[in-house]
Amino acid sequence: MNATPAPGSVATLAFEGELAVLTLAAPHRSLPVIDLPMLEDLERAVAELERREDWQGLLVLGRDARTFAAGADLDAIEAIEDEREARGLVERGQALHSRFEDLRARDKRGRMVAAVGGACAGGAYELCLALDLIVASDAPDTRIGLPEVKLGILPAWGGATRLPRRAGVSKALDIILKGRLHSAKEALRAGMVDRLCAPEDLRRIAAEIARGERPLTRRRRGAAALLVDRNPIACALVAAAARRAVLRSTGGHYQAPLDIARIVPWARLASRADTLRAEAEAAGRLAASPTTRNLLRVFRGVERAKKLGATPEGARVEPTRRLGVVGAGVMGAGIAGVAARRGVAVRLADTRRAALDAALVAHRLELEKRLRARRIERHEARATLDRLDATVDVATLRHCDAVVEAIVEDLAKKRELLALLEQHVPGDCLLATNTSSLPVGELQRGLSRPERVVGLHFFNPVERMPLVEVVRGERTDASAVARAAALALAMEKTPVIVADVPGFLVNRVLGPYLDEALALLSGGVPAELVDAALRAFGMPMGPLELLDEVGFDVAAHAARTLASAYGARMGPGDRLDAAIAAGTLGRKSGRGFHLHGAGRARLRPDAATLVERSATRASLATPDAVARRLVLATVAEAFRSLEARVVATEDELDLAFVLGTGFAPFRGGPLRHARTIGLARVVDELRRAQDEPDVRARAGGGERFEPCPLLLSLAKR
Amino acid sequence: MSGDPLVLASGVRTPLARAGGAFAKEDAAGLGALVARELLARSPWRAEEVDEVVVGCVGVPHDQANVARVVAVRAGLPHSTPARTVQRNCASGMEAVDCAAMAIESGRARLVLCAGVEVMSRYPLCFSDSATAWFERLSRAKSPWAKLAAFAAWRPSMLEPKVALLEGLTDPLSGLIMGRTAEILAREWSISREDADRYALRSHERARAARDGGRFAREIAPVLPSGARPGAAALVHDDAIRDGQTAEALAKLAPWFEKPDGRVTVGNSCGITDGACALFVCRESFARAAGLAPLARLVGRAWSGCDPARMGLGPVQATARVLRATGLTLVDMEVVEINEAFAAQVLACEKAFDSAAYAREHWGGAPLGQLDWSRTNANGGAIALGHPVGATGARLLLTAAHELGARGGGHALATLCIGGGQGGAFVLEGAA
Repeated sequence: MNATPAPGSVATLAFEGELAVLTLAAPHRSLPVIDLPMLEDLERAVAELERREDWQGLLVLGRDARTFAAGADLDAIEAIEDEREARGLVERGQALHSRFEDLRARDKRGRMVAAVGGACAGGAYELCLALDLIVASDAPDTRIGLPEVKLGILPAWGGATRLPRRAGVSKALDIILKGRLHSAKEALRAGMVDRLCAPEDLRRIAAEIARGERPLTRRRRGAAALLVDRNPIACALVAAAARRAVLRSTGGHYQAPLDIARIVPWARLASRADTLRAEAEAAGRLAASPTTRNLLRVFRGVERAKKLGATPEGARVEPTRRLGVVGAGVMGAGIAGVAARRGVAVRLADTRRAALDAALVAHRLELEKRLRARRIERHEARATLDRLDATVDVATLRHCDAVVEAIVEDLAKKRELLALLEQHVPGDCLLATNTSSLPVGELQRGLSRPERVVGLHFFNPVERMPLVEVVRGERTDASAVARAAALALAMEKTPVIVADVPGFLVNRVLGPYLDEALALLSGGVPAELVDAALRAFGMPMGPLELLDEVGFDVAAHAARTLASAYGARMGPGDRLDAAIAAGTLGRKSGRGFHLHGAGRARLRPDAATLVERSATRASLATPDAVARRLVLATVAEAFRSLEARVVATEDELDLAFVLGTGFAPFRGGPLRHARTIGLARVVDELRRAQDEPDVRARAGGGERFEPCPLLLSLAKR
Repeated sequence: MSGDPLVLASGVRTPLARAGGAFAKEDAAGLGALVARELLARSPWRAEEVDEVVVGCVGVPHDQANVARVVAVRAGLPHSTPARTVQRNCASGMEAVDCAAMAIESGRARLVLCAGVEVMSRYPLCFSDSATAWFERLSRAKSPWAKLAAFAAWRPSMLEPKVALLEGLTDPLSGLIMGRTAEILAREWSISREDADRYALRSHERARAARDGGRFAREIAPVLPSGARPGAAALVHDDAIRDGQTAEALAKLAPWFEKPDGRVTVGNSCGITDGACALFVCRESFARAAGLAPLARLVGRAWSGCDPARMGLGPVQATARVLRATGLTLVDMEVVEINEAFAAQVLACEKAFDSAAYAREHWGGAPLGQLDWSRTNANGGAIALGHPVGATGARLLLTAAHELGARGGGHALATLCIGGGQGGAFVLEGAA
């Protein structure tokens, strides 16, 4: 790909008789985006169209029927320094699209038609919105949408202005707030495109429509337009409801959805100029904000991780077509179901038939849910059902390309299983372990081909949690790592490669966080305050809620492993032993810190009695103070993990922690958060925490908040 | 016999479920695909190595016209593997194995996946001819008058459906439903009601003992039925076996097919069930090269025809043929599996096997001999387990092969009567 493409080659304008054809060729990129060269060419093209009188009908298309353009240039957004620069970029795009829209006035017989296929997102879709009609390919790889909200900004090149006219205010609000990319059928149903056709027919049919030879009218909104879209009272109600919904789901941490909820409902009542100006103001402010930066960094991390599914030389690895999963507990059943739903043929093995039955039933119920929501068709559901088989006999995994074991966390039992698997599976079958607390190196010992053993640590619940830790054991080879990462990617997860240390990355960094929460509880800090403080910080749930979800027994086992590996700074590891002995395990036993039954979980008034009261009180009274204490514990351990090279880079550490725990994505992760505060200040606060009486009184308290040498040296710079 | 005989390399079946019960919601191809996937997982060959698929099925679902093809693709075989569905009434499962054998003998294939599949629960109810004609008239009616005339021609009798199950079990040549052919045999061969009931009871007792002794576990792959709710369990055993069956309970039943004097009741007839069975067929060298000790050798296969009104005697002629072809006698059979369509029919076969007059009339030779009940249907039969028509032929072979193995080898005879007046008989040899 060229570094600087020649002008006129990025978006080429040609004339076929009276039809103007604008092609987003972008020869300098493997996937076209609306970058600076593209913008310049589009501006040249619209200028020529404005100047010439001899054309009727405009066709805008990608370089082929499965490629259009994937929105704005993320590099450019990342490079934005300040609000003024952002606003300039936004207004430039807006002006361009408005010029396209204004070309409409001159044409009676011909139309301006976009023919899209493949990815058509963000700014690229906004260009289409400025034209008359949109024809889309009905192939399964068509993805249309406005995902800007996911990066902390909003569609500011006319998306918020123009989509409501097509789809109505409520639908447009929903589309822009969710930021989903829609399939062709979904886009047609929502009114985002006007017609579908086969990719082989796309250019021909769109050209005929553009020339006026084939009729196509946009669906009129009719009465709904009058009653809702242009009705000030209805719009006010919609805006208020949207704002409430956004605050509820984001806790007010994300500004972009609030701006969207403020601007979109009024789009039909306000003038084009006013709405565009509102878009520009919001986008300018948001694009330069730390939130956008942090979300972009996470997004890029996810994209970069996609390259892990290849060998170091860049060769693709063989995809896993037949997967074996041993252990039909929560994790095993989850892994099997997710893999089957993503097209992998799965054989789930367990000695207990009841567990297998439960896993199959759960899989079927999940598919029924998707069928009812029309997200899949009946024959796809049937094929997905066919892809999950259950067996009590591990020998029937003999044709698998990869096997993941998710049995009980017992070293002897896992080693026995791996040895047994080696007898039955092919010699090149990948052997992956979902262990969360045992060293992969230990599991490799004694096997005849240990190099194909790798850790593949999923998070609970498997369907929702996007992170997979790929653990390189002592003897694991590069091919096994690549195949493991490829399997994770095929399951639509994000792999992060971590070292084979206790707790790997996420559980290790989470250790001090959770223990500190329990320590504060022991020290008299009210349970509601602990959870509320961290939710206000931006965590999806408070630490006590998290312990309930994970299960006290699982958490205690992890805590003990961490304590014996890393010492007193991880805490005593036995804080929950009394509760566990009494049968209080969290959600799985119906009661933990919360009471779990029908409906929402309710915090128990006696939650604090589940842990022993400590002699020294913790004098933290405000949410800020509580959050600061827990986040400091997390940050300190994160730097220690980085220092110990548990992951290769800060980016990967933050990515893993955000994806694995839901740590406030808008803050970017523990390391990014620390840098935002300022490392010198972090060191300062750590030292002050060490001096707190309740920390001093605890064994390992000082160590937990001790800034590691790496942090100290980074802070000096 | 050639030096590299054909073998049943491996096999597996689903439990047999009473119709309208556990498998009532299954589709035939889904059940077949499941058992095929299970067979592949238990065998050394990958899906890509299978040359052909042959599936026996009588009640082919209307939306799965070539059941075998759907089974093949849903079992994970590549699109390039051809597949066909075959039918020879009650012996369709055995016919599938026969076709596989012929494909291998002709040199066209080396490894064939066979199956027998039947979901009798899903046999449809059909509109009668008069109702169908009425629908056609209505769809052709364009003007309001024509439509009105069509509606006026509707009659309540058009609501009465044709029951495909009943029609399928009625032989169109003799006009007799299967049970009535058994009544004919019961009268002609002097089988009493008590004889039939006693036999039925023994079938249940033997099947129960086999189940409880774990002898079916080697053949069965448990199946979790479609539509299972949380807390549901997979079906592990054949569920048509009546644990509490007694002679008194059997005696209380009224004759089903010929009232009031008939001897055939629902208690001493085979059960209507759903199920599937899959087998791999190849040459012995092919199996051993893959490191597999095959289940049994296929040393003889024969088909015969007889009077449709007396279809139950089908096994007699077919057995005579296969024994003649292999040079073996009934005494040489370590294991005999004779399908229990009806107790009266099995008992009539027993007498015909040993009847010099029958032998003289039908093949001009010596009678076959006495059936040894310690070796015959030792694990019960279709009266207890059920008779999913398309699958039974394959199941019989699988059960016979396993029983042969358990008894240390030798020869086994598997034979069935076939609606319409045919018989099929295969001879297996232990391959250990």
